Amino acid sequence: MSGTVSTPSTVARFADGLLTNELPLLSDDRRREVIDFIGRRVQVLPSLTRFGVLMIGRFVDVTGMIVGHATMRRFVTKLPIPLLAEYPRLVRSLGFAYVWETWPDTTVDGGTGVAP
Amino acid sequence: MNDAGSNQLQVIDPPAATVVTGATGWLGTGLTTALLGDGEFGRSGIVRGLVRPEESTKHLPDGLDIARGDVTDAASLNALFDGLSGPVDLIHTAGVIHPAASMDEFDAVNHLGTRNVMEAAARHGVRRVVHVSSNSPFGTNGARNDRFRNDEPYHPYLGYGRSKMQGELAVLAAVDDGLNAVMVRPPWFYGPHQPARQTTFFTMVKKGRFPILGDGGQVRSMTYIDNLVQGIVRAELTVTDPGRGWWIADAESYTVNEIVETVGDALRAEGFEVKENSFKLPNLAGSVAEKIDTVTQKAGKYITQFHVLGEMNKNIAVDISAARTELGYDPQVSLATGMRNSIRWCVEQGIEL
Amino acid sequence: MTTHHECDVLIVGSGAGGATSAAILAEAGHDVLIVEEGPWVDQGSVSPFSLDQMDKQYRSGGVTVALGVPSIAYTEGRCAGGGTEVNSGLYWRPPEETLERWRSRYSIKDFATDDILAICEEVEHSLSVQPVPGEHTAASRILQRGADKLGWQNGEIPRWMTYPEGAGATQGRRQSMTRTYLPRSFDAGARILCDHRLDKIVRNGRRAVSAQLTHAGNPVTIAFRDVIVCGGAIQTPAILQRAGLRHRIGRTLAVHPTVKLSAKFDAAEHGAVNTPEDVSVFQVKEFAPNMSFGGSASHPGLVALALTDNWRDFGKAVTKWPELAIYYAAITSEGRGMVQAVPGMRDPIVTYRLTKRDRDLLGQGLARLATVMLEADAEEVYPAFKGAPIVRTRADIGDMASRFAASKASVMTVHLCSTAPMGDDEKRCATDSHGLVHGTDNVFVNDAALLPEAPGVNPQASVMAIAIRNARRYADQRAG
Repeated sequence: MSGTVSTPSTVARFADGLLTNELPLLSDDRRREVIDFIGRRVQVLPSLTRFGVLMIGRFVDVTGMIVGHATMRRFVTKLPIPLLAEYPRLVRSLGFAYVWETWPDTTVDGGTGVAP
Repeated sequence: MNDAGSNQLQVIDPPAATVVTGATGWLGTGLTTALLGDGEFGRSGIVRGLVRPEESTKHLPDGLDIARGDVTDAASLNALFDGLSGPVDLIHTAGVIHPAASMDEFDAVNHLGTRNVMEAAARHGVRRVVHVSSNSPFGTNGARNDRFRNDEPYHPYLGYGRSKMQGELAVLAAVDDGLNAVMVRPPWFYGPHQPARQTTFFTMVKKGRFPILGDGGQVRSMTYIDNLVQGIVRAELTVTDPGRGWWIADAESYTVNEIVETVGDALRAEGFEVKENSFKLPNLAGSVAEKIDTVTQKAGKYITQFHVLGEMNKNIAVDISAARTELGYDPQVSLATGMRNSIRWCVEQGIEL
Repeated sequence: MTTHHECDVLIVGSGAGGATSAAILAEAGHDVLIVEEGPWVDQGSVSPFSLDQMDKQYRSGGVTVALGVPSIAYTEGRCAGGGTEVNSGLYWRPPEETLERWRSRYSIKDFATDDILAICEEVEHSLSVQPVPGEHTAASRILQRGADKLGWQNGEIPRWMTYPEGAGATQGRRQSMTRTYLPRSFDAGARILCDHRLDKIVRNGRRAVSAQLTHAGNPVTIAFRDVIVCGGAIQTPAILQRAGLRHRIGRTLAVHPTVKLSAKFDAAEHGAVNTPEDVSVFQVKEFAPNMSFGGSASHPGLVALALTDNWRDFGKAVTKWPELAIYYAAITSEGRGMVQAVPGMRDPIVTYRLTKRDRDLLGQGLARLATVMLEADAEEVYPAFKGAPIVRTRADIGDMASRFAASKASVMTVHLCSTAPMGDDEKRCATDSHGLVHGTDNVFVNDAALLPEAPGVNPQASVMAIAIRNARRYADQRAG
């Protein structure tokens, strides 16, 4: 997961946790590829959005070190806190869009196989 | 959809017997009076009204056959059909708009009561059922120049709206089981036989104390009772697919300002002194009232004033063209005439405005 | 090392406004140089509506957002040809009443409806605007069937596409700017510099004199006689603001906010519903101009995206994506937004505020759209907002409408305009009636920013017609 070059490590860690949790059957290779894609998109976000995402990413990451990354991830994905809630939403949207566009036969768990 | 041109409408004769639920209510009284009268909608067959056991029938028209029962008591509804022979039509007007005690009345009467009535109608082989619904299952128009088309998605407004939606769904379920039922949907109706709260409306306008929210440009459709009676009878006697529902309202919709002005003019024309309306409230007052209404309804309570005020800054405007083409509905009474008639009726009844 | 160029007329941006302006001016004998921030991408070299296309031809990979409650996601083309290269090519003339309202409300001179419509006719010819000659996609037929059953007005919107004889909807060739007005302008001597980002226009009082750009990390300067800014409704005001021009600029962003749903249809009955590389060419116009309904791109990736708002309940539908199509309800909004360039920041800050009416209309629009879907025999409808239920019956729509709040929805838009409105009413407008920025002698705007309001229909026909009108006026007044 930290093998990604372009993705900021805080965002990579969060995306890795989120994808592992929500698409448990997604293979490690694919997950790395998705994280790379998320990273590329984060890098080209408009100035303010990018700044915001990196700040929130760092906040979530640092807090996660104290309370546990899984707890923090559940916290920010469940609670409708303005701005904060946009972060998992962005990561999930980018990730899911990439997964199903790249491998359209992916199952809801992230597994491969069933042709639609 | 049913798109027969008005010249090809197929109209059948009134039945041997017409059964009306909610006969003692405002609409029921007006409807039975028209069905038993000499006017356009008078008919020769039996007209029977459902009246709750304890209710007074003093104000009901002569010649009305009374059946005692309650829509909330399914077994009691058999009395409606006792001794009738030949075709029977049923007009279901019974409903609770502003509950006296508890919010539970909404569901008991508007939803479960309607289901009971539909089941009774099916049991007794009724020829055609007309269910009187409302605008409330459909919420409000998002913009002032929006008009509800005939087939709109449900978006129930609070407890009343939900119960009227459940009522419509009960009718549609009965239609699926083979009942020949249709629905009419009148927004905000007015006219003779009106209850006290509508009289209060006249009094407020007369004193210049009608609460206008914001710029008063909210748009409302209204339905004069004679127009509504016409719509009900046409829905009953015009052959259409079962399960249809139509907006029945005056030809035009009005802004709240126009309504208040027209009522003021009507009062003046009937010899009343009317003060300039000066009671303007910010839109916020409507929003606050709506919030209070929502919260109290959730707690099972219903406070008419908050409900009415909360609804005052909404647009509720409908397009009646489907009723025109499918039923030949053609409203004859305008707001100005309708309001003068209502005022005159109040005066005749000795009601002080 | 700084590269230097010179020209008579510098046109910033090569989309619907820039490309048409370039063709008219070059053909009138002006020495035209176009600068385009994005790359030149040949039509057909990337898959339409794909993430790959977003990477190459959209600003920020398509992830741009106007902040607010809710925030509104938007997209901007960033390539030669701009938005015309990547959108669905749907062409809709500006409604006559809209043109009349703009003329009177903003005091726009020489803006006769007939003149504008005559230019529209020319554009339609140049872009081969036409209906689909052959078969429509299932996504189109669904919208048509549902609306017809309700008796709601709907129809096919023609596109700037050419088709082989009798071909179906998916076989069109997009007649975007890189195929039409840009080649025309090159034939007349215009030049284009792609991958050139404009950083700043340098002014000397009322006159702009030069532009500073960046190309592959290197500085570029361009000296010009006049400059015409056609960067689209977000970039144009930012460019003007960076040049110190602020009067009515970036203050009145207008968009058509949209909400979406996905609907699932029985494939055995309706055939393959999902057409990844095309959108519905039908729109429901029963409630226009307040709201209209149409089809959205429905790539499997975009289907997954449309289901993420309530993934727990909707997620399992993603494997059925061939049976799903995405539709939108768009509204004309009373709200307005701001575009604000901030010193030291590459991108402007964009905000947008929906009014109560806007929020109510979005909810009403989504409910009506769901009704169209059920009438078209949708088995299941997945509305794109947090906490939405799966809709299978009319009663479910009641439940959906009660749960809806705009703040919970994925609101987005692709129609952005009005950030430098034109008209002689200086209190309301940033430019005069022909796009000359108030307070300057030679800085023009000629793109969607000029439209004083969102037109309530696909806006690019309006953009092109107005751009051509203004370019002609310029050519008449200044000899080439």
